[in-house]
Amino acid sequence: MALVIWLAAMLYTITYCYLYGYGRSVESLTFVWWFPDWVFWGIIVPWGVCIVLSTVFALGVMGDESLGEEIDAEVSILPGEDEVRHG
Amino acid sequence: MADAAPGVGYGTLTMLLVVMAVSVWLGSRAQRAVEKGGFVKGYFLGNRGLGAWALALTATVQSGGTFMGFPALVYTHGWIVALWIAGYMVVPITGFAVLGKRFAQLSRRTGAITIPDLFDARFGDQRVGVLASVFIMGFMTFLMIAQFKAGAIVMKLAWPGAGALALSETTAAGGIDQAYLLGLAIFSLTVVGYTLIGGFLASVWTDMFQSVLMAIGVALLFFMIVPLASQGGFQAPTLDAVAATGPDFAFGPGLAKEGKPSFLPLGVAISFFFVWPIGGIGSPASMVRVMACKDNATMRRSIVLLSFYNALIYVPLILICICGRALMPNVASADEIIPRLAIWSTREWTGGSFISGLILAAPFGAVMATVSTYLVVIASGVVRDIYQRFLRPRAGDGEIRRVSHVVMILFGVIGVAANIQPVDFLQKLVVFSTTSTASTFVAPALMLAFWRRATAAGAIAGMLAGAVTILALFSCGPLLESKNFFDPYQLLGLDPIVWGLAVSATAGLAVSFVTVPPPAALVSRLFDARPIATTPASASAI
Repeated sequence: MALVIWLAAMLYTITYCYLYGYGRSVESLTFVWWFPDWVFWGIIVPWGVCIVLSTVFALGVMGDESLGEEIDAEVSILPGEDEVRHG
Repeated sequence: MADAAPGVGYGTLTMLLVVMAVSVWLGSRAQRAVEKGGFVKGYFLGNRGLGAWALALTATVQSGGTFMGFPALVYTHGWIVALWIAGYMVVPITGFAVLGKRFAQLSRRTGAITIPDLFDARFGDQRVGVLASVFIMGFMTFLMIAQFKAGAIVMKLAWPGAGALALSETTAAGGIDQAYLLGLAIFSLTVVGYTLIGGFLASVWTDMFQSVLMAIGVALLFFMIVPLASQGGFQAPTLDAVAATGPDFAFGPGLAKEGKPSFLPLGVAISFFFVWPIGGIGSPASMVRVMACKDNATMRRSIVLLSFYNALIYVPLILICICGRALMPNVASADEIIPRLAIWSTREWTGGSFISGLILAAPFGAVMATVSTYLVVIASGVVRDIYQRFLRPRAGDGEIRRVSHVVMILFGVIGVAANIQPVDFLQKLVVFSTTSTASTFVAPALMLAFWRRATAAGAIAGMLAGAVTILALFSCGPLLESKNFFDPYQLLGLDPIVWGLAVSATAGLAVSFVTVPPPAALVSRLFDARPIATTPASASAI
């Protein structure tokens, strides 16, 4: 899901900004608050959507399973301890 | 007359000294925390105890550049820089959810303290770890040296009556400024000192501190500058800036410097949607911080916190700098825009010097935290991946502690020595090193984390191919297009990182497929909930 959000954000933002933010005249420019129209709809809005989706993903979708038990880091580096090491 | 360089009062220097004092105090607190566990894991990984705020605010790519280089870009090129930075909208979810969580799991299962540790353990081949270590130390050293210069320049900026906003290490006569050298000495002693005392946790805690300072600085500037520039309406800052510069300030591909190519053509815009999400988590400094994450709930909360933090830092900063161009249209050195705005907007306030000092303390703290982070990564590479692995595997805590301190001092001296006569192109060197790091490590890291069939030879091929591709493209810029050093050749209009990642991934995949699969038991230990038994018989192809 994270990669889908990444891809969707990239496609939308790049496409919108390229269509409406490149090679225009100042006379055609409108504003939403301080932002030129193409910045607001092409960057600010999807940024807000990404915050919402990231929050939903992190708090509702992403599992909360354990990161696992840790082995003893202080000794794990010693050579010959790991029988499957073949370097 | 807003363009005239304002003076700097004692408040600025005072605030920097406060930041230094707090950093040293945090270093001493970190030392106590390190003492609670084994030295190596405590000193280099903070006993895997990072909480949500620490992880969110320190594990990605905010640095001194956020408050210095980025504002200069907005001031120079205009609104298109919003598209350049827009990839940050997905950094939290890609960085933590895709790679971060898996790295945290694997580092626990292997007991890895450093990134080379993890490569070594995953692929069962010390050569992978050694190669990773060599690349990390090389790239990180370049990055660290550049940060020393930035720290010294900010220190110079803070001296009352020292020419204030001359963000340069040279005097008008062309010699090296004594204030710069003094700043370099003070900065280096402080940052090496507190890092040496507290190790990884000292760097994380000071990084958190600077992140808070940065948020305060952005909020103060926003409320001081934006209303001032918007007296003619919401559209006034942009239209005033356009009137002073030209229509390209409001549109893509951005306002270009005279004789320079346009700032953000389409290919480069696409590239930066890869650069930020991948570059952030592809940095060894970031990887090691997610390895230090306390638990999965911490990582989930970090995604939320970082999502809001990025938006609340970058969007207001863009607005502030657009307003800055409207208020001060002719600042010769764009790097000075934030200091100038801070000092100018508080010039008539009682204690305004302290408020501007608080704002300027943010980039200074960021530079300190960045140097501290790189020092820890480099020291862990030398001590853990070379000294302890090959020279003294059974060295005790006391010996490792002494060697770590010596290595940090040594690299601190290197940072100072390289900056007494600072070389040109350092900022470009930072871009080169960052791009190289991501291109070298991201594909092998993804293979390490998610692909059972990935082999040691494939990981080595991926690292070498990524590094060589970047080196080639950065060499082709000057050779084929007569560009300056470290201005890369943008093949098909794409940033080198896209090619570096593509070639690295292709090489990693291809070589893994044609080499002997890793032992089943080794892979099972890292990928399966219930690993298969580790016996010689099980060490067969999968």
